[in-house]
Amino acid sequence: MTVAVTRTKAEQAYSESFEAVAQKLPGGRAVAEARKAAIGAFAGLGFPHRRIEEWKYTDLRSTLKEALPPAIADATRVSVADLEAALGGLAELDAHRVVFVNGTHRPALSSAGREKGLEIGPLAFALDRSAGDASIRPSAPGQEAMIALNTAFMTDGALVHVAKGVRLAKPLLLIFVRAGKEPRLLTTRNSLTIGSGAEATIIEAHVALPGAGAGQANALSEIAVGDDAGVVHVKCTLEGAGTSHVAGWLATLGAKARYRAFHLTAGTALVRNNLLATFRGEDAKLDISGCFLGRDAEHIDTTLVVDHAVPGCESRELFKGVLAGKARGVFQGKVIVRPDAQKTDGKQMAQVLMLSEDAEFDSKPELEIYADDVVCGHGSTAAELDRNLLFYMRARGVPLEVARRLLIESFVGEALDKVEDQRLREALSAMTVGRLSGLVA
Amino acid sequence: MLEIKNLHVKLADEDTEILKGVSLAVPKGQVHAIMGPNGSGKSTLAYVLAGREDYEVTKGDILWNGESVLEMEPDERAAKGVFLAFQYPMEIPGVATMTFLRTAVNALRKKRGLAEFTTPEFLKRVRAEAAALGVSDEMLKRPLNVGFSGGEKKRMEILQMAMLEPSLCVMDETDSGLDIDAVRIVSEGVNRLRSKDRAMLVITHYQRLLTYIVPDKVHVMAGGAIQKSGGKELALELEETGYTEFSPKTPAHA
Ligand SMILES: Nc1ncnc2c1ncn2[C@@H]1O[C@H](COP(=O)(O)OP(=O)(O)OP(=O)(O)O)[C@@H](O)[C@H]1O
Ligand SMILES: [Mg+2]
Repeated sequence: MTVAVTRTKAEQAYSESFEAVAQKLPGGRAVAEARKAAIGAFAGLGFPHRRIEEWKYTDLRSTLKEALPPAIADATRVSVADLEAALGGLAELDAHRVVFVNGTHRPALSSAGREKGLEIGPLAFALDRSAGDASIRPSAPGQEAMIALNTAFMTDGALVHVAKGVRLAKPLLLIFVRAGKEPRLLTTRNSLTIGSGAEATIIEAHVALPGAGAGQANALSEIAVGDDAGVVHVKCTLEGAGTSHVAGWLATLGAKARYRAFHLTAGTALVRNNLLATFRGEDAKLDISGCFLGRDAEHIDTTLVVDHAVPGCESRELFKGVLAGKARGVFQGKVIVRPDAQKTDGKQMAQVLMLSEDAEFDSKPELEIYADDVVCGHGSTAAELDRNLLFYMRARGVPLEVARRLLIESFVGEALDKVEDQRLREALSAMTVGRLSGLVA
Repeated sequence: MLEIKNLHVKLADEDTEILKGVSLAVPKGQVHAIMGPNGSGKSTLAYVLAGREDYEVTKGDILWNGESVLEMEPDERAAKGVFLAFQYPMEIPGVATMTFLRTAVNALRKKRGLAEFTTPEFLKRVRAEAAALGVSDEMLKRPLNVGFSGGEKKRMEILQMAMLEPSLCVMDETDSGLDIDAVRIVSEGVNRLRSKDRAMLVITHYQRLLTYIVPDKVHVMAGGAIQKSGGKELALELEETGYTEFSPKTPAHA
């Protein structure tokens, strides 16, 4: 069925802007072809809007009103000190760093050391060599338009390969910095392959320097976790008060793989993190957890699909949100259990603490179960701080602000406890607590 | 001195009056006991002393050391020395008992113009009090009151009371839920705190507690007012007669 559609100004502008910048985007002929096809697909689809079920609560057609100039081969100056400040608690971690400023790799700010079995480099190089044209067209239901836009405009990102059986000594810290006053579109992509039996910790941080202009980001991460591999995969979305960040996060898990993902989201005007995790081999375990903190009129949407396509796998999700001001939180979590996926064990929970009467939380947990021998559960709650607990604490002399802070920290602490590595957990806790002060005040 | 003057209290969001003219005075250095049937308003009085916002004072006043506390927030009252040991202590998930104790103790010391405790000073005090009250190290590490037995929670209340050094101690049924030995241990803890600078108000249903914590006065509360006051022997009398004498809901001195 073809329907004549009218495109918004922003949608049209992105198609036009592609024509103008296509020559400057990295990639050989095959890549250029793929980009062209992608922008064509986007022109047909337009931004996702509320009449598409998955985008009911986050209507990009109405929120992304303006097309921003894509940042290409950007050279905005960023000092190491600026970068450290923007990283907050993560700056403390001893990690291999790969830094991208406004979507362009910055070797001078990076410090990716060598480790046996680790290949790490900017995606732009690989695109220039036109490696793996198939890999540049990932797909995920509901994410077609935004992935197409990502394919069309992506400038850079990390290409990581961890060889079979290799245990990385240090975590990888992939840093995406927004800098400079001009509002821009940043389009980045990470492609991560973890060989069978390998172990790695990968942290993605999307941060903004103080004074960075409002903007848009389209980020995509793909990760393939090999059989028996163990991966910790963290994302911090802290893009700045005027920025919208729409991201895809596509993971596949091999047999007996262990995959633990954690998302910290705060301080960004509009966020849509779109996660899809697919079990490809039996007896794998995944845990995707996180916390999101919203204030002012921030809008934070976590949409998650866990696809149990094979038997015997375990999935756990725990998301904790704290919403102040007029912030709006969205959590859509879908667990699919395919007919073959017997002995699936899936549990999902989203809990939100409402610090103001004007805050809003929309939750849509869904179970789609086609197998009979499974244990699945989901739930979601939204509550205010317990007045009785506050009274108890205050009656012991604890001032109201401190009592509130203790209760909120303990609330998000349950999600942070999912991060097993102590150093990493402490870094993330420090960042969370730092952001909380802005909500409680 | 604690002075409660013709106190009328209703639920904040309803018109139900619970306290109907309570008058009571507890001088420093004294321990007074309040006894009375279920639902007579004892806990309500205790909560109102501590500043719980579910209740509204419609008439009367509460003075502590000559100063009205009615306009004070609960933490301000605590800074002035008011402490309430809850009938049902609350569980605070995710907040370690030690962290909580330290936060409370130091917040109060700061407000009272005293130096905050250093970590070693604080630990020394907690350990000493905990040992005296039979509170284990393991309990101190757990989130406050979470998974504690009824009796353990009550011990923890008295531990907090000792640590926070209040000058007005209100204990709401601290003895219920305690085994026979624990009643003695907790009573000893309370008796250690008895001093000429402290006033204590002990709410209980059992005369047994008052053989350990011997009160200067006993008050009978029924129908939201004090119906009778007497010496410690009044507790024994009540054990014999029960509360039938007070069942008509007309305050003795309205
Ligand atoms: N927050 C509240 N909401 C509704 N009713 C209340 C509330 N607090 C107290 N009441 C009512 O007020 C009356 C007095 O209650 P209170 O708890 O003070 O009694 P009590 O003397 O402590 O009883 P007990 O010996 O059982 O502990 C009861 O009828 C109770 O149901
Ligand atoms: Mg009571």
